[in-house]
Amino acid sequence: MTTPGAVVRRILFYAFLAVVAAFWALPLLWLVFAPFDANPGLTVKLPDVTLDNFRRLGESPYALSSLRNSVLIAGGTMVLVTGLSALAAYALSRVRLPGRNMLLYGLLLLSSIVTGTAAMVPIFLLMFEVGLIDDRSGVALVLTGGLLPAAIFILKDFMDATPRSYEESARVFGASPFQVLRHVVLPIARPGLATIAVWSLVNAWGDFLTAYILLRDPDKSPAGVVMYTFYTEGGQANLPLISAFSLLYALPVVVLYLFVNRRYGFRFHGGIKS
Amino acid sequence: MASIELVGLSKVYAGGVAAVDDLSLTIGDGEFFALLGPSGCGKTTLLRTIAGLEEATGGRLLLDGKDVTTLPPGKRDVAMVFQDYALFPHMDVTDNISYPLRIQKVPGEERRQKAARTGAGLGLSHLMDRRPGQLSGGQQQRVALARAIACQPAVFLFDEPLSNLDARLRLEARTFLKRLQHELGVTTVFVTHDQAEALAMADKIAVMEAGRIRQLGTPSEIFHRPANVFVANFIGSTPMNLVPGALFGDRTEGEDDVLVGFRPEYTRIGTDGPYALRGKVAIVENLGASMLVSVQVDGQSVQALVPEGEEPEVDTWVLIAPDPRRVLLYRAGDGELLEASVQAAR
Repeated sequence: MTTPGAVVRRILFYAFLAVVAAFWALPLLWLVFAPFDANPGLTVKLPDVTLDNFRRLGESPYALSSLRNSVLIAGGTMVLVTGLSALAAYALSRVRLPGRNMLLYGLLLLSSIVTGTAAMVPIFLLMFEVGLIDDRSGVALVLTGGLLPAAIFILKDFMDATPRSYEESARVFGASPFQVLRHVVLPIARPGLATIAVWSLVNAWGDFLTAYILLRDPDKSPAGVVMYTFYTEGGQANLPLISAFSLLYALPVVVLYLFVNRRYGFRFHGGIKS
Repeated sequence: MASIELVGLSKVYAGGVAAVDDLSLTIGDGEFFALLGPSGCGKTTLLRTIAGLEEATGGRLLLDGKDVTTLPPGKRDVAMVFQDYALFPHMDVTDNISYPLRIQKVPGEERRQKAARTGAGLGLSHLMDRRPGQLSGGQQQRVALARAIACQPAVFLFDEPLSNLDARLRLEARTFLKRLQHELGVTTVFVTHDQAEALAMADKIAVMEAGRIRQLGTPSEIFHRPANVFVANFIGSTPMNLVPGALFGDRTEGEDDVLVGFRPEYTRIGTDGPYALRGKVAIVENLGASMLVSVQVDGQSVQALVPEGEEPEVDTWVLIAPDPRRVLLYRAGDGELLEASVQAAR
């Protein structure tokens, strides 16, 4: 460790790490400082502290209502994804289905297309046909479709890791299938459910494209779309508004992550600590 | 309280494997009944079929005279203790024990009291607030038993109840289980692959192989008069000596193709007798109070259990002779016990 070569290698290694860290840290620093800066630019600088940006945000007609829309869309998506994927994963884990794995991998592959850019035209047409254009529940449904396969895939792993004897034991004591699910399977898969709930919420919360395409009325638009409309009269990005709004937009997700991580711990694999 | 009656019960899996093959037997009220056999013999499948976790593909199952063949597990009035105990990891001991009562919609307060009473009966009072993960193997087993007892079933089903305990605890648990079953007087079926466990605990044993019962009887019948070579080999802490009749010349009462069976426990070294053989001592194993001596007779190994201190030196020539009253003759072809020979030996 004490040879000059080793020292140089170490210095270079840490220099490299510092560059990488800066690359990730600078945007976050911007997000922390810019909202409180009277005159924010695109660089990170210590702010000329003011809360004026937030006051102006409050005057914007769509800013706060868009956060409510985001909550509705992301919350709805979360409920749908978590509920449906729990039921589907349980069934897929317990019922021997020919070609079960093919089905799962197929769904997983297709899901990246559903919410991807390529399928937006067919999805638009589909939603138009079923009359869900400019409807927040339509956005939640499309997002749900895109997230479900991965959620099922992850949750199935949790269900697989739960010994069948738990359920059989409950059955012998007379529990109905629904009681088995409620009393035994779901509580044991709770860390998995928490993971899926947060993951789907964050995904839907951060969605731009689906909502941008399917919603017409700015009153119904979620925060991601509304932020896109913050321009000055000169056509420049309105940085004071955008920075303040970004902070408000990011906070719920961070808080949620901290809360769930503390409460359940994040795991993407199953397993029982008994 | 209930008797269990199997009438031609079968369980054939989709692949055509008959795990339980046309089985008929009656388990009496209050009996402690062992299903014994090597792994894969269908004993666990049979137990699960009685519980209702597997659907019988043929035959009938009667509990207390009532046909329950097609009833779901919860409607059969049985309680099962699983090999891994299947305690719910997210519930404490009280909630685990009272779970069957929760399903039966017993009010919460009564449930807790009953769980506390049942737990106290099994020495669990100081553990009622713990989660299963914080309990030792023996404690987990007692919680699983308490849960089964709490629902006051007509029949207990135990799947390998002792296999998850370490050796010393297993002996304790064996005595404990037997006493518990005796006190409760509930008909109990348990599955085991350990013949010593079955002999020690059961009132009656069914020895199974490949989905069929090879012998049904009391522990003493099964130990002293195994009905065939399979059972003879399977039962006993040291397997029974099965020696081709030819080795004894014309001493086997006129039967041609026979296997002469005798337990090492009933075999002496250095004494003559009607079935005495001469051989060279190959190995002496120390079993504590006794010694297991393996003697080579014409390339065939014959074992005798002799008291400590009476074992011969290795490589010496000795006479080895079974107690003539304990000798059993088996037909060489199908390995069945020859009744006549048993009578003759007596």
